[in-house]
Amino acid sequence: MEPAARGTDRRAPAGAAVDGPGVGRARHGDLAANVVGFCRLLRRRGLQVGAQEAADALRALRAVDLSDRREAYLALRAVLASGPEAQRIFDAAFWEFWGAADEQRRPSGGLDATGLSPDGHQALERVVLEWQQEDADAEGGEEVPAYSPVEVVTRKDFSTFSADELEEITAVVCAIARRVATRLSRRTRTARRGHLVDLRRTMRASLRRGGEVMEIVRRERRLTKTRVVLLCDVSGSMDLYSRFLIQFIYALQHAVGRVETFVFSTGLSRITGSLARDDIHAALDDVARHVPDWSGGTKIGRSLRRFLDEYGGKVLDGRTVVIIISDGWDTGEIDLLEAAMAELRRRAARVIWLNPLLASPGYEPICQGMRVALPFVDIFAPAHNLESLRQLERYLARR
Amino acid sequence: MHPEIRRIQDLLAAQGYIADRTIATAVYLSIALRKPLLIEGAAGVGKTEVAKVMARALETDLIRLQCYEGLDATTALYEWNYQKQLLHIRLSEGSDRPVAEREAEIFSEPFLLKRPLLDAITRDRAPVLLVDEIDRADEEFEAFLLEVLSDFQVSIPEIGTIAATSTPYVVLTSNRTRELGDALRRRCLYLWIDYPSFEKELEIVRRKVPDVNGHLAEQIGAVMQMIRRLRLEKTPGVAETLDWSAALIALHRDHLDREAVEETLGVLFKHQDDAAAVRVKWLDQILDGLGMLEREGRPWSQQLVAQIAERLQARR
Repeated sequence: MEPAARGTDRRAPAGAAVDGPGVGRARHGDLAANVVGFCRLLRRRGLQVGAQEAADALRALRAVDLSDRREAYLALRAVLASGPEAQRIFDAAFWEFWGAADEQRRPSGGLDATGLSPDGHQALERVVLEWQQEDADAEGGEEVPAYSPVEVVTRKDFSTFSADELEEITAVVCAIARRVATRLSRRTRTARRGHLVDLRRTMRASLRRGGEVMEIVRRERRLTKTRVVLLCDVSGSMDLYSRFLIQFIYALQHAVGRVETFVFSTGLSRITGSLARDDIHAALDDVARHVPDWSGGTKIGRSLRRFLDEYGGKVLDGRTVVIIISDGWDTGEIDLLEAAMAELRRRAARVIWLNPLLASPGYEPICQGMRVALPFVDIFAPAHNLESLRQLERYLARR
Repeated sequence: MHPEIRRIQDLLAAQGYIADRTIATAVYLSIALRKPLLIEGAAGVGKTEVAKVMARALETDLIRLQCYEGLDATTALYEWNYQKQLLHIRLSEGSDRPVAEREAEIFSEPFLLKRPLLDAITRDRAPVLLVDEIDRADEEFEAFLLEVLSDFQVSIPEIGTIAATSTPYVVLTSNRTRELGDALRRRCLYLWIDYPSFEKELEIVRRKVPDVNGHLAEQIGAVMQMIRRLRLEKTPGVAETLDWSAALIALHRDHLDREAVEETLGVLFKHQDDAAAVRVKWLDQILDGLGMLEREGRPWSQQLVAQIAERLQARR
């Protein structure tokens, strides 16, 4: 048997059901043991429930009317489930563990209350904490599994996504977009409630009153809005990722005001206008109509050159962040690509290259296109799943 | 039911806030266990209201910290009252006390402007601290907040550490524009407030807009249930329901028909595209749904309204 069960054997026979194969039902008798068992069940289902939560759960039960099952249920849920997804898991587990609702008219009351005095409960709470501690020690510091409703989604490759998972991606993309597109400027502006004092202006204003400082002029740091240019590869080799890419660019454009979006394969199309529509489906139809060579071959160099010549003057300046999403498979001329990348690097503030293939085992940026482009890239990151995007967001946050 | 939970529910009701047991229990536990309460839910379901009622239930003050992008620790904690300091310097110009002493004086507590967080922990009587829309502040602020909430002390370089004289009751709200950190979640009790059920919304409308006749209120409630199932830019909340009811009354409408709805769409939808989409695509269906409900000949309930709404959805 596992060491975890050893603790229960020794301390509380009533709680023996908490481990082993037949888990998941409350036993008569010992409330604390049942709470611990219930917490274990939740933990196994992926909720982040540790010793502290178990102790809080007991405190909560002590504070409510235990003979009222619904009240006990609501109390435990407030303590143990910390998000809508967690609440759904909790709901299923609760009825399973504590028994169905119709048992509630048992003479003994709602949950398995044993008529413990408040003192008794207090003692139990201590015991629970100790047990859990011992369990943790015995199991070599068992870690509470990181709970995250998006955990399953995060590791999954974007190429295998279903449509309803896209909402989660949108959230992360919006966070990234905010990181990329806004930051506190070093410049300041006069603001009534800013927390920096503008000494120069304060003094100047005081001269009008014979040098008496009556009013303090304040400043605050300005929020810079960066312009983002998105260049997205929609050629055949990127086909698997196109659904994610669409979502990415759509979300990005809607999260940040100043985004210019282009897609390229053998040619380049500006789709900013199409994406500006509020209905995603209408936007996508529009994009599909305007992009002639969706899923064709790739000529990155030539596409970038056209971008620089036609749009560069309008959308590039020293504060523009350029994001390129592509696998770097270029079937066009390599020299052209190198020259275009060099120019892009010079004219933009930063160049970020997201490569969905970067994380696939065995992939190295050896394809020629990627190799010549790499020296001109500030950030080269994988973008094949949600977790990689999260990392990118964290990375951008550290700047 | 625990008497204290009932009292909170009654208090909420007295404020015109129809609370189900979930909300009352969470508020009670937050008070009883002295743990912060994190409230999530869509905009317009009354999250902020809960904190206000909690303050009233405890007969204490409410201190509100509104979060926004770029909110930083200093703005939330304290600032020096520069005006007062300057004035003091001018007043004591003639005095011959040593400079160090005068300096120490202007950097003392009387010259400190307490911002919400510092204010909340230095009251004689524990207040309710409402940290509103925490998801709009950035992660750094979240970490800082967590620190204040666990230590309940604040250090100010010129003065030293100020320890809490009382531990505030903390309520945090979030619209989920950003996922909050697990550390913060685990420190809090959690409450999810959903859009109200048909019955609950009906009660809210009747209580807040008393001029609405019984049948109109039912129609309004049913339409809201149907509208919230549509994919919209911004799903209307309870505030919109109330505005809409008031608008219908102002226009002397006593039942919903095409004209009445079309006239008042602007009140219900804050997004031009939503109003247009409803007018063009969904209005017929909604009116159909109302017709179907009328023909049922049963008293309207959440269950019945949901059934009809699903039937409409299936037709789409």
